[in-house]
Amino acid sequence: MSQTITIDPVTRLEGHGKITIQLNGQGEVENAHFHVTQVRGFERFSEGRPFYEMPSLMARICGICPVSHLIASAKACEAIMSVRIPHTAAQLRRLLNLAQMVQSHALSFFYLASPDLLLGMESDPKLRNILGVAAAKPELGRAGIALRRIGQSIIELLGDKRVHPGWVVPGGVTEPLSPEKRDKILAMLPEAYSSVGLALGAYKQIAGTFQPEIEVFANFPSNYMSLISEEESIDLTDGALRLIDATGKIIEDGITASRYTEVIGEAVENYSYTKFAYYKPLGYPDGSYRVGPLARLNIVKSMGTPKAEKELTEFKQLATGPVSSSFHYHHARLVEMLYGIEKIEEILADSRILDKHVRATAGVNRLEGAGQAEAPRGVLHHHYKVDENGKITWANLVIATGQNNNAMNRGVLQAARHYVKDGKFTEGVLNRVEAVVRTFDPCLSCSTHAFGQMPLVISLLSADGEVVDRVARD
Amino acid sequence: MANTARCLILACGNTLRSDDGVGPKLAAWAEERFRQESEVRVISRQQFTPELAELIAAADSVLFVDSSASPPPGRVRLLPVSSRVESSTAPPSHHLKPSELLGLTRSLYGSIKSHAMLLTVGIGSTELGETFSAPVEAALPRARGILEKAVLRFLGR
Repeated sequence: MSQTITIDPVTRLEGHGKITIQLNGQGEVENAHFHVTQVRGFERFSEGRPFYEMPSLMARICGICPVSHLIASAKACEAIMSVRIPHTAAQLRRLLNLAQMVQSHALSFFYLASPDLLLGMESDPKLRNILGVAAAKPELGRAGIALRRIGQSIIELLGDKRVHPGWVVPGGVTEPLSPEKRDKILAMLPEAYSSVGLALGAYKQIAGTFQPEIEVFANFPSNYMSLISEEESIDLTDGALRLIDATGKIIEDGITASRYTEVIGEAVENYSYTKFAYYKPLGYPDGSYRVGPLARLNIVKSMGTPKAEKELTEFKQLATGPVSSSFHYHHARLVEMLYGIEKIEEILADSRILDKHVRATAGVNRLEGAGQAEAPRGVLHHHYKVDENGKITWANLVIATGQNNNAMNRGVLQAARHYVKDGKFTEGVLNRVEAVVRTFDPCLSCSTHAFGQMPLVISLLSADGEVVDRVARD
Repeated sequence: MANTARCLILACGNTLRSDDGVGPKLAAWAEERFRQESEVRVISRQQFTPELAELIAAADSVLFVDSSASPPPGRVRLLPVSSRVESSTAPPSHHLKPSELLGLTRSLYGSIKSHAMLLTVGIGSTELGETFSAPVEAALPRARGILEKAVLRFLGR
């Protein structure tokens, strides 16, 4: 008799999803799926809007990574305008994107993942949360809060708002950076360095105790995709796409935004509202790939900043080729936070950052444009078509979570097969299956979060719907 | 570390969800009322997020302002808040109750507030919209009065 285990909702994610695990008559895991159960409609309801409204409209997709949407959208608009933005505007956008990455990665590591990492996968679920971390490791709790504050404060200083800043516009940014604001940002960086250093030290101390999880948390060969600079360094805001295979061999390189449809296709599965991106020449699902911090660190040759460079060297020693376990996303996030702080300092040290020329202007010069930028969770593509008046006639977005969708599903299946035995499971098993998804830090609903409590019930049902086993979390 | 203020007013709510916007509405009023008071700081957010603990730690007293679905629409209540966290429920990751925020503040910064109160207004509608229901609109003067008195008491006046 076949049975299904349902985890609904999956907790400590950005948004709402559920997991189902299907068992066969012997109680073995036959299949498992991660479902994104909410539907958004941004591509459709942007139709008819003037193209220059798109960045601020699209930023509303997400409350955690609105800056990436702003930037990818503005770049798509600039392709329609056929303009190249001033150097200082590009650097200011880079600053904003780095600040966003710091605060987003801090949220993922300290608020969402650290309860599992610092308190243990099997720890009391009532304590396995941010309050439990604060009680057990207050110094790390303070570090997390400091990094969130610093990232958000930089965004607010640059864009006037902590969330959904309207500062990034087609052609550049609306205002230059003042020396006062620059100095305020610089003054925050020593605390940022010490906070991320504390987190890196703590993570490295405990990572070895998670070897069993490392083995089965979406640990399989796959392709990886990210933006990379001409110097083969990490580049979150510009650069071109590179795709490598499971051995590290480059299979696509130098793919600019206007060419993304040559390499990326999107498939649909009937169990999720999120699409499944894949590398076109290999088809779906063989062409599935991973994006985000793990992919970026697997792809780049250098970080381009000294402290992060040292950490990258250490990270790459985790494997002989690309690091394949998604558990290491956590480590990669910490390395990227360190990079972000160093890069912010480097950009601000250049006096040209105060230049007043920060915006190019133009009208509609092309009827189609695409832009790409790295969001904290992976590379993001915005693609628009307009009519002669600049009104949007068609839009498509390829987001990081969709590009990681196949890997998340494979990871859930891998972990479920490892941990669920004889059709039985414990709360700790449930948490590990959820934790696989958390490693990717998927952004499901993005701009809207839970209203009220998030109860969790897992039911094991027989084929005729009878509840055979049940685990509940209030 | 965050800027210090003797009295911190922390409001939350969604201004696009009718009555749920009553917290931000009262915060905007408080911002104007206490504009000349350097010892009062007003923060309005859509949720009470963990990072607010840092701001709470820096203040002597805190007044949370929020809507509440449980009392009848328009009922205004002022309740003490303790930092005791109920162990029977696990808090979500992105937003906390006032008591949980106080507990987090105590754990992280060893900070215990001399005064911590929660001002709530009972709500009737959270439909999409930027206007209040009649009971909430009618309750605003009373809510403002209670808020003002609480803050002045926190300041020892």
